[in-house]
Amino acid sequence: MFYHISLEHEILLHPQYFGPQLLEKVKTKLYTEVEGTCTGKYGFVIAVTTIDHIGAGLILPGQGFVVYPVKYKAIVFRPFKGEVLDAVVRQVNKVGMFAEIGPLSCFISHHSIPAEMEFCPNVNPQCYKTKEEDIVIHAEGEIRLKIVGTRVDASGIFAIGTLMDDFLGLISN
Amino acid sequence: MLTISLKMADQAVRVLQQQTKPIKVEKWKVRQGNAVSLGRIVLIYDFMEKEKPEQKKLKALQAGIIHKILAVEGKVVQPGEPLYEIKACSHPTIMNDMCAECGADLRIELIQKTTASVPMIHAIPELKVSEEQAKQLGQADSDRLIKDRKLVLLVDLDQTLIHTTNDNVPANIKDVYHFQLNGPTSPWYHTRLRPGTHKFLSTICEFYELHICTFGVRSYAHMIARFLDPEQKFFSNRILSRDECFDPTSKKANLSALFPCGDDMVCIIDDREDVWSHAANLIHVKPYHFFQHTGDINAPPGLDKHEDDDKEGVDLTRAAKQPSPDVPGDKSESTETEDENLTSVNEDKTVQSSPGDSSEIVDAKSDALGSSTNEDLTKSNHCDDNDKGVSSEISESVPPSSSTEEPNVEIKPIPSDEVVTKDEVSENSGSIEETKISLATELNSGGESIDKKSESESIPKVDTGKTNGKLKGIAPEHSEKSQDASLYEVEDPDDYINYLEDILKQIHTSYYQLYDEMESGKIPDLKKVIPYVKSQVLKGCKLVFSGLVPTHYKLEESKAYRVARILGAEVQHNFNNDTTHLVAVRPGTAKVNAGRRRKNLKIVTPDWLWCCAERWEQVDERLFPLNAKGSKNRHPPPHCSSPEHIPEYPGSQTPVLRKRSPSGRFMDTINPLMSFSRDDIADMDKEVEDILEDDTDDEEQVAPIPVELEDDNDTDMEDVNIKQLIQTEILDAYDSQTDDGERENTHDLVTHESKTQIHENRKRALDDAEDDKEDLPSRKFRRGEDIADDLDVEPQNSDDDDSDSFEAPDEEDEGEWNMMGAALEREFLSD
Repeated sequence: MFYHISLEHEILLHPQYFGPQLLEKVKTKLYTEVEGTCTGKYGFVIAVTTIDHIGAGLILPGQGFVVYPVKYKAIVFRPFKGEVLDAVVRQVNKVGMFAEIGPLSCFISHHSIPAEMEFCPNVNPQCYKTKEEDIVIHAEGEIRLKIVGTRVDASGIFAIGTLMDDFLGLISN
Repeated sequence: MLTISLKMADQAVRVLQQQTKPIKVEKWKVRQGNAVSLGRIVLIYDFMEKEKPEQKKLKALQAGIIHKILAVEGKVVQPGEPLYEIKACSHPTIMNDMCAECGADLRIELIQKTTASVPMIHAIPELKVSEEQAKQLGQADSDRLIKDRKLVLLVDLDQTLIHTTNDNVPANIKDVYHFQLNGPTSPWYHTRLRPGTHKFLSTICEFYELHICTFGVRSYAHMIARFLDPEQKFFSNRILSRDECFDPTSKKANLSALFPCGDDMVCIIDDREDVWSHAANLIHVKPYHFFQHTGDINAPPGLDKHEDDDKEGVDLTRAAKQPSPDVPGDKSESTETEDENLTSVNEDKTVQSSPGDSSEIVDAKSDALGSSTNEDLTKSNHCDDNDKGVSSEISESVPPSSSTEEPNVEIKPIPSDEVVTKDEVSENSGSIEETKISLATELNSGGESIDKKSESESIPKVDTGKTNGKLKGIAPEHSEKSQDASLYEVEDPDDYINYLEDILKQIHTSYYQLYDEMESGKIPDLKKVIPYVKSQVLKGCKLVFSGLVPTHYKLEESKAYRVARILGAEVQHNFNNDTTHLVAVRPGTAKVNAGRRRKNLKIVTPDWLWCCAERWEQVDERLFPLNAKGSKNRHPPPHCSSPEHIPEYPGSQTPVLRKRSPSGRFMDTINPLMSFSRDDIADMDKEVEDILEDDTDDEEQVAPIPVELEDDNDTDMEDVNIKQLIQTEILDAYDSQTDDGERENTHDLVTHESKTQIHENRKRALDDAEDDKEDLPSRKFRRGEDIADDLDVEPQNSDDDDSDSFEAPDEEDEGEWNMMGAALEREFLSD
């Protein structure tokens, strides 16, 4: 799920940037340091929307670096158990398939793929398809899945998904 | 609050309504067969109270699969009555410590013992499935393979399909890929595909499901896979790299995970056997060597192959010298242009420097000579006929102080017409060496010269112009892009992959032939099929060896015998009426002479046998005629000398193949000195001193150390005289012990007869006692010297040990060494 929330971050600035462009530098540094990261609590920081407040910089004694506390608003993506999401299939194998929801990767076991979909290793690319071949899921295909579990690490989130529910599976445009 | 009690009913757990009041089931949120995770809402219910309806949610207290719903919607369930049955999830598939079925976090649910342990997907070791699951999937795989009439082929990368170096390589060589793995500052790798690889893959993928199985790191393996298979047609995601290997020194451990139903349908191609524990379903591939000075860059730690890294390969300096704007790393120092099978002067000498004080002199001298040769080479870079072959003769076991004065320096230029061009039929058959002739020169180190006898049969030869890997510019019209105009195509003589393709096709055909013959439901085992296919290669051939097996060996224990047997040939001690082939190392032996009188008998060199073993086909015998020079390849190349495939039983790790010492302990074999007492060594010292004193009396005398005489057959006729001299002198040293026809000869020699006389005598001797002479020096060595008797390990030594002491260092057998290493390891582990 996406949220637009206020977050805080501390920017450590080298003295070489002290000058008229100082605040600009703080802002660009915030973008590069924050966007694309992942925290267990808030999920993936997708984009910084506004920078609300740049606090007073504090010079670190002995180093000369300056710490700026920055308050900003960002769009974050936090997957939850039970959430239904659209994903892009990355890899298909006999045990299941891997899909990506933006920065979040997700595994769907073949047990969580409807039984009528069979794994076909001989066709290129490999795929899961029904006997009638009306539904074919292969790499780069778009699917809708439901998250059944998430593993939140310090550095990222990994999800387990399923296609075993109504309206899940291949998204046909 | 609602309380739920859990009760076991077989595997399924029945969830009861344990409320004090009856509830009405409003709506089920799950269906039968659904997986529910912990805390998922299962049911919406309502207390049967008159006032307002209050929707309450029942959450699952246990993850699992809803087995049965026992209460229909709208029904009123009394306390204690069952609501539904849930089958606990056994977590058969685990990804990142999460159950991929129910989403349970298995790091939290420590109570649950996990059954999933088999990483079935090559590149994703985090994904594990239970054994039961793995068996199911594996069965589905083999069913599908049978249906498609395919087999599995595990393909090694380094030195099998490609050769990679991280040396500097000119950027303008065709068919060489350059890449970095870890960002712009990481080292460059240069990869050359074996010629014909693309064609091979596209052909063979119709018969085999291809898997990559390499000791390279994952990024490397995937990078190479992109070169080999840009559309992912052949390998798809079936890439197993070092990151996924269980065991850093063996690829075998992963087999049971990848193929949980057994490796009956798995065929392996690899350039080394040890990482597969010499499995019977391995096809030992001739290693591909393109870049000089680089072996297998991904060799497992501790199992480095010290093969002829410096000797093989194609010289690329000429490509580098071509004017090209984008050459990143020209080799600054000029590398000697070497033939694939020839050695440079420098390297060879450093390898075979004799031990002791004199070695320094030799080294220094040879260095000097080497550098001067280098200069010569760079000067004569473009004149092909300026070849200079320099060979030094070093006796490895020359006692340090035994130097007799006999300056004997001859430097003879090689006639240019003796250089063989590479477009001959036999160029790839490994027989080039025999056609290459070089002349021997002997080193003169100051006033005292040490006659060095090169125990390597291949006389080092530096060959400038005519190299196997000739570089030539390709015409611009061949290239599509304009920048390709500066590319240089390297002529690569390696065409092994064509034979490999035939071998694999043949195996496939045989396998499914056998499958059709067997009753349905059973599948043949490739571990039996592959040796069978190999045993058909020379079926019906009846071989007689001449000069191939030393006489003090049992024929059955020799490597040549084993190679022939693996190929299905019958080996006879002597001629029978039905003998078809005579495999002879050199002409003039009694067997050869007898054989020449026979009709329908093909006389070939051992190279024929090795070539058959390499290609798995009966090679045309006419390509390997026994000519005057004979052959020097008495021992099979490592990739041909696979040990006999014996069925392997898990757990039976005892080294049954070799018994090296009476004690059976490996460490006794590694250093024979360990088994000498102090007295023994004193005796030996005395003996050496005695010999040395004798030597000083006789000016003609050289080091009385047995060397393998027959290995010099490849040398020129001009060289023979010198050799006669040396040989006869050696014989002289053992004069008292000699008891056969040689005796007269040696006496003749001592009286310093003319060289022609020597020659005649020698010839006669050759005719008389050809095979006896095979091991004459060593036999005399044993009879004449006490050390041999004390050397209790020697008689038990198997042929490989003998080859080490007996043969040139470049003949050392990798497979044997690796097996020795394995034996050592086992011994240490068992202690």
